[in-house]
Amino acid sequence: MKKCTAILLMSIALLSSISANAREPLDDESLPLPPPPVPDPVAFVVPPGVYYVTDTYVADVVATSDATTTYSTTTVHESTGTYARVIDNVSTGASSAFDGMAFNGRGALTDGQALAGTYYENFVLTAGGYVPVSIVFFQDDSETKRRQTGSSSAAATKAAATSGAAVTSAQPVTSAPVTSAQPVTSAQPGSINAPPLSSKPQAPIEPVGPTLRVGISLAPDGPTLASAEVLRGRLVQFWPRVFVNDVAVPIQSWRLLSAQPDHISANAGSTQPLTAQWIRMPAPGVSWPLRFEIFSLVAPTERLEAQIAITVRSPALVD
Amino acid sequence: MTHDDGGSAALTTLLALPLLLVVLVGVLELGALRAVAYRAAAAADLATLVAVGDQDQIELARSGNLRLAADAADTARDYFARNLSATAPALAASATAIAASADIASFPTAPSFDPRTGVRYERPTVRLIAVVPVKTPGFAALLMPAVTTLTIRSTSSPR
Repeated sequence: MKKCTAILLMSIALLSSISANAREPLDDESLPLPPPPVPDPVAFVVPPGVYYVTDTYVADVVATSDATTTYSTTTVHESTGTYARVIDNVSTGASSAFDGMAFNGRGALTDGQALAGTYYENFVLTAGGYVPVSIVFFQDDSETKRRQTGSSSAAATKAAATSGAAVTSAQPVTSAPVTSAQPVTSAQPGSINAPPLSSKPQAPIEPVGPTLRVGISLAPDGPTLASAEVLRGRLVQFWPRVFVNDVAVPIQSWRLLSAQPDHISANAGSTQPLTAQWIRMPAPGVSWPLRFEIFSLVAPTERLEAQIAITVRSPALVD
Repeated sequence: MTHDDGGSAALTTLLALPLLLVVLVGVLELGALRAVAYRAAAAADLATLVAVGDQDQIELARSGNLRLAADAADTARDYFARNLSATAPALAASATAIAASADIASFPTAPSFDPRTGVRYERPTVRLIAVVPVKTPGFAALLMPAVTTLTIRSTSSPR
């Protein structure tokens, strides 16, 4: 009887058994971790026609020689790490979709027609691809005084048309009667704006370009300063500034070239200022220069440098 | 030692003891007064140092020059009262009252001239002159004034 009972209990136990769900730690640890999800690759778009810039825009140049006025662009052979592409070639007087978008503008002939030239789009290469930063217009045009008309001087007109050197004409062109006391120069559309006629050769016109000025200010809209007295241990913000014809323009980036501060917020930045703090004291009478390298949005390839002299002071008892 | 010599020594001690006590009390009171004077001077020094440790940020951004904050004198007075409160038990007036009556002048720009002291400052400066009444009970026991007045001065500038 006991034997039968034991066999029965054993059978019930075996039949009702289920597999245990116990965790086996070693099994889990031996499994390789699943790889982290990888985002879908983003297409690295390279704008067509992009090339590495080796010649950088400097200024627009307008020069006059005899009767010819030439509109050109000066460059400097310099690589600033940017890229560019041609986005439009325009002829004299033709309009472009990029008119008004170039930071240096598009000039015009004396008759008001827009200059011929080429629009370039500048890029900087970032981790996300080529980022357009600005558009520049390289002017390439010229005009020659083709004719000079005066209501009462056919001879002068003929001389100008035949010689092509109206500025050397000996006779002033007048639009007033001969009895008028003051000669009045006139110019027709299509001809250059004739200066007062004389026998002297015309001097070349100075290049006309934007005036860039850089500096450091201690407030976002404060004046640029050559020096500043700061207290030891105080956090002071320095704002690199760029001005084009004395108008403030946004900067693209800045980088600190000197590293005297004991604590700085960053070595480089863009729209954020540099926050610096001095703990050490300089020798009496010594100031520390703080030098910045600045790139502006209007001339992203032009490297600018600004400096401010810092004098660190600390409270002290006076005897 | 004879019997007469011993009586003479006792008599001498009895006569000199009051004098010794007067000298002892005077020395102790002078020492205590000197300690209070040092602490009051330190309170004034720290107050003026704190006051010149603040800078007019608008002027700094405008010209880059260090100009003291407009409330430099008030800051010095406030900190002088706070620092002096640690010595309050020895003072014959409250620290607040002493600080309120102190002559504190701020010279936010330099050079400047202090008409009270006749000193010319080459840096922005805060100057403090305070009269501090100190309790001197030891002197009172010696039939001297129970309150001794100290005049302290402190001048600080950022250098």
